[in-house]
Amino acid sequence: MHNNWMRRQRMLGYIFVGPNMLGVLLFFLIPAVYSFGLMFTDYKFMNPDMTFIGLDNIKRLMKDPLFFLSLRNTLIFLLAVPVSIVIGFIVAVILNQKIYLKKLLRGLYFMPYITSGVAVAFVWMLMFQPNQGPINGFLRSIGVDNPPGWLSTTTSSMYAIDIIWIWFMLGYNMIIYLAALQEVSSELLEAAKIDGARPLQILRRIIWPLVSPTTFLLLVTGLIMAIKTFGIIQATTQGGPGNSTTILSLYVYQNAFRYYDMGYAATVSWALFAIILLITVLQWVGQKRWVHY
Amino acid sequence: MEVKKRLSILQPGSLLITVIMLALAIVMIIPFLWMISTSLKTPSEVFKYPIEWIPSNLTWEHHQKVWSGAKSFGTYYLNSLKISIIGMVGATFLSAFAAYGFARIDFKGRNTLFLLYLSMMMIPPQVLFVPKFIMFEWAGIYNTHLALILPGLFTIFGVFMLRQFFLSIPNEISESAFIDGAGHFRIFFRLILPLAKPALATLAIIDFSWQWNDYENALVFLIDENLYTVPLGLQNFILENTVDYNGMMAAASAGIIPMIIVFAIGQRYIIQGLTNSAVKG
Repeated sequence: MHNNWMRRQRMLGYIFVGPNMLGVLLFFLIPAVYSFGLMFTDYKFMNPDMTFIGLDNIKRLMKDPLFFLSLRNTLIFLLAVPVSIVIGFIVAVILNQKIYLKKLLRGLYFMPYITSGVAVAFVWMLMFQPNQGPINGFLRSIGVDNPPGWLSTTTSSMYAIDIIWIWFMLGYNMIIYLAALQEVSSELLEAAKIDGARPLQILRRIIWPLVSPTTFLLLVTGLIMAIKTFGIIQATTQGGPGNSTTILSLYVYQNAFRYYDMGYAATVSWALFAIILLITVLQWVGQKRWVHY
Repeated sequence: MEVKKRLSILQPGSLLITVIMLALAIVMIIPFLWMISTSLKTPSEVFKYPIEWIPSNLTWEHHQKVWSGAKSFGTYYLNSLKISIIGMVGATFLSAFAAYGFARIDFKGRNTLFLLYLSMMMIPPQVLFVPKFIMFEWAGIYNTHLALILPGLFTIFGVFMLRQFFLSIPNEISESAFIDGAGHFRIFFRLILPLAKPALATLAIIDFSWQWNDYENALVFLIDENLYTVPLGLQNFILENTVDYNGMMAAASAGIIPMIIVFAIGQRYIIQGLTNSAVKG
């Protein structure tokens, strides 16, 4: 009787999980395994006969200057993540005070996140226009003689993308911090105030450490999200000028669908995965030093 | 997200802070304001500085261009709506079904399976592009809407989010139903789903916004222009009109405004859903 019930339970579990599992199998797991296999082949779109070439793709990767350039660009891109987290935190703390129009403000800050997409990328592209764009127009009007070329020069393009990303993620980080701030006990803050702590001290010594699990979460998920990003850059610069905004995710796409070099594209994509894994593991190990649960 | 007590660390200078924060918020939405303003200008006014926020020669001509002609945004909208709505409904239901299994049924291998789901989330979509391309070619669904709809039915995030919510529903509810002779199916459809309405709405809205904004999959899996979704149609329009800045901004408005409307309607749900899944997840 009991055994029968257990078996029935198990069956039902599979029935409930099954349909979704089938999709995950078809559209995630099998492609992932397939892609892992492709890494060891010279599969090209034009030449459908796959040959096993062992580690040749990996050797090629290690000597590929463009791979290292995209790695470097990816790292510059990732700088945007902590910056938008810190700004998001500050905005959240302020919006958590007694102020008016709270809901409206929250919505306005959050809006960029929901309108993610190519459209936003094109708007920024025009605003960043170096000669006549409104951003440089504004900078000139306040006395900046040589405003940056933003997306148009190899030295500034990646930082311009950083600005778009900070703008895009800020509202999301703010919202998550706002939720975390609800959990901070107000008695603690009252006590600190009575003991004569100044606002900045309270912010640095009490609130920031108390929300550190949230910071950790935003950092882990934010970095993963940024590394995977592709749309904003593909739409604005397509990796240019001169590969200066080719980040790894874009380099995978270019190899696969511009050069039709599928085997090598798979190899780069797994390098991308390895970096995500490395960053996640490093953060997990490092969290003990600064995350207080 | 109900507000309990304010953590006031500043002195109540609330009006001044409100004004400062409002000014910053306006800076945040300047790209949208500039977009709309530019789309209503004449070409010679685009880069006038200081910016003319309200154009003196207001014109709807650029918007009309976007919506008429051989490559009208109407087609892209219908394609996007079809894909997003089917995906949203399917993904919400399939996620709920699986989430119930993970949250409320104890079966062998459950934790291992869940761990597998977790690890799948770390895989960048770029890893899957090439094999999916090959698979879709082979299955004959490359360059059809099915190539977007089928994978869109499955979201790992959705399973996570709803599992989290189902775990928070007290077990006593199902136990008393068990005693009354109800099985898992009845409990799922009659008890859990109605209780989970807010969570389901949240997932539906978030998923809709993802599907609507999905550019990468459309870019990789669609070539036929009649099949294009809004992001792809937008890109095409802009690439073909690189000197028509007003047209570019009119097209960008067409791409963004539906999401702003969805956001305005579902703001509460979107924000609540994201915070629940992030902070408590």
